[in-house]
Amino acid sequence: MHSLKDYLRLYFIIETQYIKARMQYRADFIISSIGMFFSSLATLGIFWVILGSIPDLAGWSFMQLVFIYGFYMIAISPMQILFDHIWQIRFHVQQGTFLKYYFRPLNMMFYYMSEMFDIKGLTQLAAGIVILIYASIRLDLDWTLPRVALLLLTLFSASLVQISITVLAGCAAFWVLDAYPVLGLAWKLREFAPYPMNIFDGAFRFTFTFIIPLGFVAFYPSQLFLQPEDVSSLVYFSPLVGVGLFALTYWVWTKGVNSYTGTGS
Amino acid sequence: MSLIHIKDLTKHFKILNRREGLSGAFRDLFSGNYRTVEAVAGVSFDIEAGEIVGYIGPNGAGKSTTIKMMTGILKPTGGMLQVNGLMPYDNRIRQAQIMGVVFGQRTQLWWDLPVIESFKILKEIYKVDQKMFDRHMDMFNELVGLKALYSQQVRTLSLGQRMLCDISASFLHNPQVVFLDEPTIGLDISIKAKIRSVIKELNREHNTTIILTTHDLGDVEALCQRIIIIDKGKILYDGDIKRVNALFGAYRTLKLQIDDFTAATLQTLTGKLTEKFGAEHGISIAETEELWTDVTIDQARTPLSDVLNFVMSNFGVDDVRIVEISMENVVRKVYDGALK
Amino acid sequence: MKSYLAVLRGSFMVGLVYRFGFLFSIAGNIIYMSITYFLWRSIYQNRETLRGLTFDQTYIYVALGSAVFILLKTYVDWQMSYEIREGTVATYLTKPIDLQFYELFMSLGFFLMSLGAITIPTILLLVFVFRIEIPLGLGLAIFPFSLILAYLLSFCFDYFIGLLCFYTESVWGLSITKEILVTVLSGALIPLPFFPDVIHKILLWLPFQAIYYTPLTMVAQPNLGWGTFLPMLAVQLFWVIALFTLTRLFYNQAIKVLRISGG
Repeated sequence: MHSLKDYLRLYFIIETQYIKARMQYRADFIISSIGMFFSSLATLGIFWVILGSIPDLAGWSFMQLVFIYGFYMIAISPMQILFDHIWQIRFHVQQGTFLKYYFRPLNMMFYYMSEMFDIKGLTQLAAGIVILIYASIRLDLDWTLPRVALLLLTLFSASLVQISITVLAGCAAFWVLDAYPVLGLAWKLREFAPYPMNIFDGAFRFTFTFIIPLGFVAFYPSQLFLQPEDVSSLVYFSPLVGVGLFALTYWVWTKGVNSYTGTGS
Repeated sequence: MSLIHIKDLTKHFKILNRREGLSGAFRDLFSGNYRTVEAVAGVSFDIEAGEIVGYIGPNGAGKSTTIKMMTGILKPTGGMLQVNGLMPYDNRIRQAQIMGVVFGQRTQLWWDLPVIESFKILKEIYKVDQKMFDRHMDMFNELVGLKALYSQQVRTLSLGQRMLCDISASFLHNPQVVFLDEPTIGLDISIKAKIRSVIKELNREHNTTIILTTHDLGDVEALCQRIIIIDKGKILYDGDIKRVNALFGAYRTLKLQIDDFTAATLQTLTGKLTEKFGAEHGISIAETEELWTDVTIDQARTPLSDVLNFVMSNFGVDDVRIVEISMENVVRKVYDGALK
Repeated sequence: MKSYLAVLRGSFMVGLVYRFGFLFSIAGNIIYMSITYFLWRSIYQNRETLRGLTFDQTYIYVALGSAVFILLKTYVDWQMSYEIREGTVATYLTKPIDLQFYELFMSLGFFLMSLGAITIPTILLLVFVFRIEIPLGLGLAIFPFSLILAYLLSFCFDYFIGLLCFYTESVWGLSITKEILVTVLSGALIPLPFFPDVIHKILLWLPFQAIYYTPLTMVAQPNLGWGTFLPMLAVQLFWVIALFTLTRLFYNQAIKVLRISGG
């Protein structure tokens, strides 16, 4: 019924109105943006403190970590900006207000997520871009057109990974009454995505590569740019990982939506 | 072919028998101990275009399960269900285009946005063309005075205003069928009357089919020609409102608080009433809550005022209330064969 | 006093409902401690000491830090912003109840709950599964006292943020900013000696370090002895008294907003 163009147009109309309405709370927006900015930079601050005591962390220099961090901040922003409504899902499911998302001739995930647009996430995105550019200048990286295209492709895929992990955790609300801790854990684990995966061994590296693939949010794709001559073949799978994981997430979401029966009489 | 065709429709739920305590909660995680509940146990009816049908029954009767199947949220376990020739669950998006739904007190408008913006977004979602949009908005303005609310945020509307906006919005795309679930719940009398007249107008305008679920018999009385009563997953009655109306319209319950109430008081009361009004008096007596006695009177047989006068002059009465018959009582009377 | 104890009991019971949440929090803590273990192991690599700390000392410090992290979260800021938005704060004004003590006892229920359900299990895991040898001695003996002072300090910060909610609706932004400042500047994630010297010295003059750095150092470096611990406790006590007083004064200011706007 609706083409992709229709959906984009609809999204634009809804979000313009939403942003207009939210702008009434300007103080809230400014304070939240400051909070967002500080919380984004906390882990970077930790890297800075640690790398003041030692020359490198598992073979990675401070500036290389900054690059990974910039990549990470950009990659987590689409989740923050476009999919933030996932945090409310347990309320909707428990109180039965989730029912209304069935009644429109729209894709339900689209309709549900379109109800929120997190403006403060734009601050995070902007900070990430600045950090990535700064680090690539300091590292003297060579940006040709194909490499910029590769960067955009890997960023797209990495953001799909982050979206998938969070939305999957949120979907627990369809089956578990108190699903908040699941989402809380996913949120906390997110902080470890910018760490070099080679500090972990055995089970943990396996987990962060194949089970909760946090490594694909920033570390693995960044290697394509930081040490292109020496990357494991795994890295080339990162675009596939994003798309595949999102397909899985969409499937689980659909299962959840279909198994939901609503509360009350 | 009728607009809605339902034949032997069933819906079973598997319910987890929860175990006690922390270890029980753990065991539930791995091995479920389920029992099956038949929420809808073989329901059949047809609804034609343009009808307003009251779909009523007590809580847990299976009415909202039926509605959820008709709106495409739930998949039927068995039987036949077609709306406009299609099965709603398998064609959710297509069916949503020809349906409108209003669910009780939960608004489907955009909470933070001004009312008019919600309507504009709906115009895009349902691809309503500008001409029809303008015509409908004019109509809503005439019926509801919508224009005065255009710039107000939905969150700032009163419950009644919000309901009027929600009902209007559900008609915006000219749907073939609109489901209204408890449209007057929690509203005062004057708003209730307003909402009922608006629903009637909207139904007349485009001959839209309306399916109404409600606990308020006043809604049914004011709007429906036909009524379907469901209880325990089965249909108890499907037919003209007039017969049911005669039933609950004639009954009133007299609630009495009698002085020095003892167990014997009930017997004395029953005895004296039979003595006075004869054996076929159509009066039933029950003690409901602490100190309150319910005297349900069939006014076709005995005038309420006579009973009240008689009781007042023969018993010491502290307090009196007169109430209309409740939904639960109607269902009980239908069970007892009142419509046979 | 009796009414405050009733408040405490009530919030304790509410906490009990969320068992699933507690199990998940413990699981989260285990993962978190494992990750910090790998991180610090690769930071130390083959080095004996860094900034005068051995690997064991540092790891006890950060692991114990993550075990008490949830304990020291009072959620008073979120609670108060909710009460202010719902207008229930106005009803406290009419009762002979002190808001600061009311909120403190309210949060103590959750404190006891997380102590039993998260912190103690986590510490047991540390000792028996991760095989961390927590040095027995003076430091461990006075750790509980230091932790209580740390809790009171943490409460003061959260209560302050809660009071700010009288002025603005934005609890998310305020709370997350506070949390980041507290966790980084208090040495919750990295022991303060790792900071550059100048910053390290400045941080010692701020109240943040009394929340995490002080109690954690007592356990990680018990050999420091009374000579160091007593002044540390004194500094903690000083900050508790100072911040309690300051927030009380600020309360008198903030409450005017409510009285003017009518809540």
